[in-house]
Amino acid sequence: MKQLNICIALLTAAALLLTGCAGNREKGGETTGTAEAGQQETEETQSQTEKPAEPEARGTGPITFTDMNGREITLEKPADRIVALTASDCEILYALGAGDTLVGRGEYCNWPAEVMDVPSVQSGENTNVEQIIALQPQVLLMSAMAQTDEQIEALENAGIQVVVSYAQDIEGVYEAISMIGTAMGKNDEAESLVTEMKNTFDQIRENSTGDGSETIYFEVSPLEYGLWAAGSGTFMDEVARMLGLANVFADMEGWGEVSEEQVIQRAPDYIVTIAMYYGEGLTPVEEITSRSGWENIPAIQNGKLLNLQNDELSRPGPRLKDGAELLYEFVYGGKTE
Amino acid sequence: MGAMLEVNNLTVRFGQMTIVDEISFSVSPGEWLMIIGPNGAGKSTINNAISRAVPYTGTVLFEGTDIRRSKSREMARNIGVLSQNHYVGYGFTVEEVIRLGRYAHAPGLLAGGKDEGEEKVRDAIRKTGMEPYLNQSVLTLSGGELQRTFLAQLFAQDPRLLILDEPTNHLDLIYQKQVFALVGEWLKKPGRAVISVVHDLSLARAYGTHALLMKKGKIVSIGSVEQVMAPEYLNQVYDMDVYDWMRQMYGQWSGAAQT
Amino acid sequence: MKKRSREGFSLPIYILFTAVTLAVMLLCICVGSVMLPPMDTLEVLWNGLTGAQGPVNEMAANIILPVRLPRVLCVALVGASLSLCGGAMQGLLKNPLADGTTLGVSSGASLGAVTAIAFGISLPGFPFAGSMVMAVLFAFGSLALILSLAYKLDSSLSTNTIILIGVIFSMFASSISSLIITFAGDKIKTITFWTMGSLQGSSYENALVLLAALALFGGLVIGCGRELNAFAVGEDNARNIGVNVRRVKLTVLICISVLIGVCVSVSGTIGFVGLVTPHMLRSITGPNHRRLLPATLFGGACFLMLSDLLARTLLNPRELPLGVVTSFVGSMMFIYIFYMSRKGR
Repeated sequence: MKQLNICIALLTAAALLLTGCAGNREKGGETTGTAEAGQQETEETQSQTEKPAEPEARGTGPITFTDMNGREITLEKPADRIVALTASDCEILYALGAGDTLVGRGEYCNWPAEVMDVPSVQSGENTNVEQIIALQPQVLLMSAMAQTDEQIEALENAGIQVVVSYAQDIEGVYEAISMIGTAMGKNDEAESLVTEMKNTFDQIRENSTGDGSETIYFEVSPLEYGLWAAGSGTFMDEVARMLGLANVFADMEGWGEVSEEQVIQRAPDYIVTIAMYYGEGLTPVEEITSRSGWENIPAIQNGKLLNLQNDELSRPGPRLKDGAELLYEFVYGGKTE
Repeated sequence: MGAMLEVNNLTVRFGQMTIVDEISFSVSPGEWLMIIGPNGAGKSTINNAISRAVPYTGTVLFEGTDIRRSKSREMARNIGVLSQNHYVGYGFTVEEVIRLGRYAHAPGLLAGGKDEGEEKVRDAIRKTGMEPYLNQSVLTLSGGELQRTFLAQLFAQDPRLLILDEPTNHLDLIYQKQVFALVGEWLKKPGRAVISVVHDLSLARAYGTHALLMKKGKIVSIGSVEQVMAPEYLNQVYDMDVYDWMRQMYGQWSGAAQT
Repeated sequence: MKKRSREGFSLPIYILFTAVTLAVMLLCICVGSVMLPPMDTLEVLWNGLTGAQGPVNEMAANIILPVRLPRVLCVALVGASLSLCGGAMQGLLKNPLADGTTLGVSSGASLGAVTAIAFGISLPGFPFAGSMVMAVLFAFGSLALILSLAYKLDSSLSTNTIILIGVIFSMFASSISSLIITFAGDKIKTITFWTMGSLQGSSYENALVLLAALALFGGLVIGCGRELNAFAVGEDNARNIGVNVRRVKLTVLICISVLIGVCVSVSGTIGFVGLVTPHMLRSITGPNHRRLLPATLFGGACFLMLSDLLARTLLNPRELPLGVVTSFVGSMMFIYIFYMSRKGR
């Protein structure tokens, strides 16, 4: 019986994923959007009526879950008006096919491209409660870092449910995805997204032949404005270990400003920079190659430099797998699959 | 005897206000011109105009040359100014401050004090009695000592015309007398003249050769001290019987008013 | 009475200063975030100087000449320039608290540099000259604005008025910078660079530009030593003794703007250097600018090199922004000077 239930759930998930994806793709076009959404809804209700055995029927009864700050959250129904302050949460929403529920985004959210059409609000230290209340969301997704208790209280007094999403490692990202999926009534999409990520990472781990003897250096800010590198406890570090590489700055916690001398001494075999290129002057890779004193670093001698421009490895979102794949291709050549 | 300084139609305005209104006078070598008058008459402003510290209309000629045409150093070699109070921001030594007086005589940008002025500096220090203080910081001096330091600087500067702007304003009586006596001594050498603004009429009377009495930016009377400081002018300007008051103030001390 | 007191330093004292500065420089080259054997370092240096080839420690060769030496040189030159500017401003304005940081000139300069980068203002062929020129122009504009405002409000230019205006202007310029940085997004990456300064990635070209600016404009400022003495005694006094007040002021302010602008565009804002060194040196040399100004060159170079040494090594392998170290020392010094000057009145 239990097994049967799981099978049904998986099937439903697959079906939903297909329709969800289709709907999303269609929305890129102009007029069919609403029609598709309607269709999607009917299919959802259909699937519910078809499988009454499913215990957590969607749309009926309140949803309860624990957010990543350990608070009990109860929602009357899945949220359909959301403000997300962090870029990663926006990305998760879109990946779950719930991008259309977003009524406001943090100012630094920039992926996927259509998120830029959503009204932006200040985030982080500059979080502005009034801006958020004005958008009348049911749920505010934010990270645990910068907002004060007073701000949270003010928001909840205004009837906005604050949900904290705060991933510090890849496990945390899975947790954030499932939590957001629950809040949105998109459990199945969340589950398949997590599975997809896990599969990708497993595959990478399996295919990677590195034994930790080769080293990698992640450059977060270019030399011009002070060199910043990623240390341990970062997603970059986690992905490096997945690939069987050692992060040269593993002895440093988090991101930090480091000196050129340290990079030269630690002589990384690979260099990844996340600097942006604006189409003028040297590209980030050329700039690193041209630094004096760096000539004898193995990565530069062997041309092993990669520029990841789109925050793939710096955000706790679903695109971590894209970043990991790009890094795998860069290190081992060829696709993971 | 030609005039050293010739002031023609001097007018100074600050915004809408006319502080000094079309004033003309001249000063010849050997003269000590006392500018007197009540507060707000524009006395100090005349000094500021002659020392080019404020913009003015009209002309000021020093030995026939418009002072607006002369270079800063040339100007300082001709006219020296002693202001009313000094606050020095840093602990320069007395000697350093006095030696600054030679600036106008030093030839170039990087040149040191190697001119015939060494004698002048020593002379100035001796005359003002500042020898004991030379290595002392000016921050530690009393008001009178500080005033003497700047007087020594002025003597070292060796100008032809001295302008004193209420030089004894904040000083005790004994220092007031000291400063005036030193300037009187300085004036004895030929080819020199002094213009000073004073509040104290008895000092003006005692040391001045000439006087210029002003009220509200205009000249009320100009001429020798005796002429100008006649009761009819003074009483008109100060709105009171000045001599009667001076008698009351000083009379009981053996007639100090007419020294 | 002494025969004739020499105002400037004698040659032996200059030699002593140079020796001390070189010793500090050598220390800063030998010690760094990566520990290298001092003998290898010296050998690399020696070979670099003499052009000799020889078997050397390869790590030392990769680090010393391409990375550490240019950085130490730039730090020394920035320190010397900023200290000289501080000393000159304090004399010119008769204000012991005047400095590029307290007057808001540095913030103005970094606003200029940020503007140049954000709007892509550049001189063809000289990629970083655009931000440098803008930094210099903005530094001069800031100075002119602050001083004319101060004159308008309080013609005696009292210590408090001018510092107050400087601080307010500084906040104003920083807020505009932050605004531009926010709108320019990723193009101007680290805000800390513009507020706290860094000399990472300094090159010999940077050092050359700094040296040229210091030789030309710093030389001019030092040449105004006597005039600055007169200003330090009082601007009225300066006029009275025959200083061309307007010309000297303009010359010194232009030189200061150029030096601060060039420094800021190379190193970001490094606070309070111009406050700390002249003040420490004044107690040794006295207030006479003909001694003080040359001394600030050496003293400023040593102070900043040692601060940078701390910034590089304190939290190894992390780097502290250099401005964190100098601002820490500088704000203490600011309070001390302010306290003493209040008490002294």
